[in-house]
Amino acid sequence: MVGKKSRTLFGVSLLSFIAASCATNAPQDTWQPKGPNAKIIDDLQQPVFAVAGVIGLIVAAAVIYSVLKYKDRGQPIPEQTHGKPALEITLTIIPALILAVVAVFTFGAIFKLAKTDDTEMIINVTGQQWWWEYDYPVQNEFGITQPIISSGQLVLPVGTKVLLRETSRDVIHSYWIPALNGKRDAVPGRVQTLRLEADKPGIFTGQCTEFCGLSHANMRMEAVALSKADFAKWVANQQAAYVAPAKDSLAQQGEAVFLNQCVRCHQVNGLMRADGTPAIAAPDENVWSGSAPNLSHLMSRNTFAGASFDLLSKQCRDEVWNAPSDTIGAKYLAGVSQDCLNQKDLRSWLRNAPEMLPMYANPTQLEATGGKYRGMPYLALSEDDISKLVAYLLTLK
Amino acid sequence: MGVTVLSVVALIMSLFVLDQVALAGVALSMLIAAAALLGGIAVITRDGNRQSGVTEQSTDLVSQSIWPLVTGIGVVFLALGLVISSVVFFGGIVILLAALAEWMVQSWSERASKDANYNASARKRLLNPIEFPVLAALGLGIVIFSFSRIMLTVDKTTGASLFIVFGSLVLIGGILFAIKPDMKRSLGAAICVLGAVGIVAGGIVSATSGVREELVAAKSESHMAPECGEERSEHFDKNSTGTLSLRSSVNATIELIDGQLTARLVGFQDPQKSLTISRSTPTNLIFRNLDSKDYRLVAELGMRATAEPEGGTEKNLVCTQLAAQGFEQLLLLKIDKPAPVGTSYKLIVPGVEGQSIELVVP
Repeated sequence: MVGKKSRTLFGVSLLSFIAASCATNAPQDTWQPKGPNAKIIDDLQQPVFAVAGVIGLIVAAAVIYSVLKYKDRGQPIPEQTHGKPALEITLTIIPALILAVVAVFTFGAIFKLAKTDDTEMIINVTGQQWWWEYDYPVQNEFGITQPIISSGQLVLPVGTKVLLRETSRDVIHSYWIPALNGKRDAVPGRVQTLRLEADKPGIFTGQCTEFCGLSHANMRMEAVALSKADFAKWVANQQAAYVAPAKDSLAQQGEAVFLNQCVRCHQVNGLMRADGTPAIAAPDENVWSGSAPNLSHLMSRNTFAGASFDLLSKQCRDEVWNAPSDTIGAKYLAGVSQDCLNQKDLRSWLRNAPEMLPMYANPTQLEATGGKYRGMPYLALSEDDISKLVAYLLTLK
Repeated sequence: MGVTVLSVVALIMSLFVLDQVALAGVALSMLIAAAALLGGIAVITRDGNRQSGVTEQSTDLVSQSIWPLVTGIGVVFLALGLVISSVVFFGGIVILLAALAEWMVQSWSERASKDANYNASARKRLLNPIEFPVLAALGLGIVIFSFSRIMLTVDKTTGASLFIVFGSLVLIGGILFAIKPDMKRSLGAAICVLGAVGIVAGGIVSATSGVREELVAAKSESHMAPECGEERSEHFDKNSTGTLSLRSSVNATIELIDGQLTARLVGFQDPQKSLTISRSTPTNLIFRNLDSKDYRLVAELGMRATAEPEGGTEKNLVCTQLAAQGFEQLLLLKIDKPAPVGTSYKLIVPGVEGQSIELVVP
């Protein structure tokens, strides 16, 4: 006999479990589509979930009823019978019919989501441990006259059918912005496509959904949907020429530190060495995936280190994220000012990145990768150098 | 419930012992949750309380067993493996573990009761669900391996014919079994055993006579690094995109039609004359030759240092093998750096003038 205490405990546990599922602040809620592709999925999952829920409840109720009614009370084992053709056929046909109906709508949704012939804009997306790179090939109709490279935040124009061409540099990752579409694996050597379209300006979060190593849980992404006019401004800014820091400024000293330390892996387009030659990063010689985020226009983004940390202070970030859709573009395009910079996290990152994010960055344990890191290593920068670097990075608007 | 308690202990220990407990912690927490759930259900429903099957203990002597012998063989393999190779060593471990498990269950089952039939059924109930799938997998593995040896020995045409004959025989056998369900089981078993023995015998003969000459020659042609000049290989896959896994999800298909070279990319409506490739990203391209002669696709990737003479440079070229008209070849590129200022990377087809696809590496 189950005691009253046990039943109460079971009831409380069940209620706690259900209550834990109800979060008010859930930016990756799959039930709140913000674009036509996510709406296709939502239109499918709502009725399927309802049908599956009802069936699940019926089955669970039948199981609980049977368990409680026929549990062992020392009674003799009842007569064992076999074969009720009418019942068995009925119980086979009903689920088969339900599944057939679900399959028809599922295939319809799959085909709609797989369409690529109505694409209006292409963005190449490359995953690596543990961040995403976005490169925008030349598309004159959007004002993109030279390739744009960014990371952490995917910027796209609203009301535009964007096709992501996904691949990976190291292991399999999976791209997922729940508000805009389902998931798609990024596989080395292959190009997989994913449609994205946002109805309104806004920022939508996502998460890598294929286990990809130590910092998989920190491999986040954000999609920033801007109005077409704001997107044009963003494109123009990304294509703007490099502006060297003012002479004799702290930022100029930071540029020198950057050239000494950071340019081994990080590219800043237009940055020149003292001898007048372009500074070309060589992440392939230092990083296992062969790439590190391109930091040109870093301060036009709101995040760093694979969107794991905010470049904006909490107050400034809230101002952008909570802005109504008609002003969010302007606030986002303002980028990161000195007042809004999240100095604490950025300085900590420069001071000792592996302490902030697990990245297999212990130099004594790199035998398997031929001495190459899987993330940013400890650079032993002095506090002085960190201040110079922060001042320099702030100029990369 | 025991598993739950052990998992809790393991989790606590891992917190003290391991440096990075993330994975172990998640795995053990999940195990605790699953074991607690199952244990809780078992306790609530008293599923583990049945007192059935309580029988009088047997006092008979144990019967003859093959397992001590197999255990001995396992030990010999283990010892030989230490000297010869790790494969033999691990084989010894597998034999030893299997034999010990069988031996233990046999010993237990013979003393389970005084009823020999019950004891035999108890052993079967416990071990048959493991023995049958393992033996079936092993048997099938041997047959498939033997068949593969035969296919590597006979020429291509004979191989295709053999496949058709073998498949047809399986199909006919299946049909016969279906329309004659009352056929003697021993007859069916005999046919299967005969077929399997035939294939294994064929496999042994093939393995001893070696693979066909064409494959030996192909192995020496070094197809992983095809020459960019005149085609020297003879025995290569003339249509290497023939398999579905290679054809799907490539970055671009480069087509040569009537002397025009274009790139077709998923998502782009029109053929392109330039292709953006991210740095250090493995990139698969298909070259489809729809022109009238044999051609290859060549990627010109700037200059590279030569080993001889030291300090010298040469063109850095990556090529497909020749593709005859209507056929396809694959090209795998991985470009680590952008082209030096004032130069560009490009795809060309030697023999087709004025046509190229620019490779943009941002």
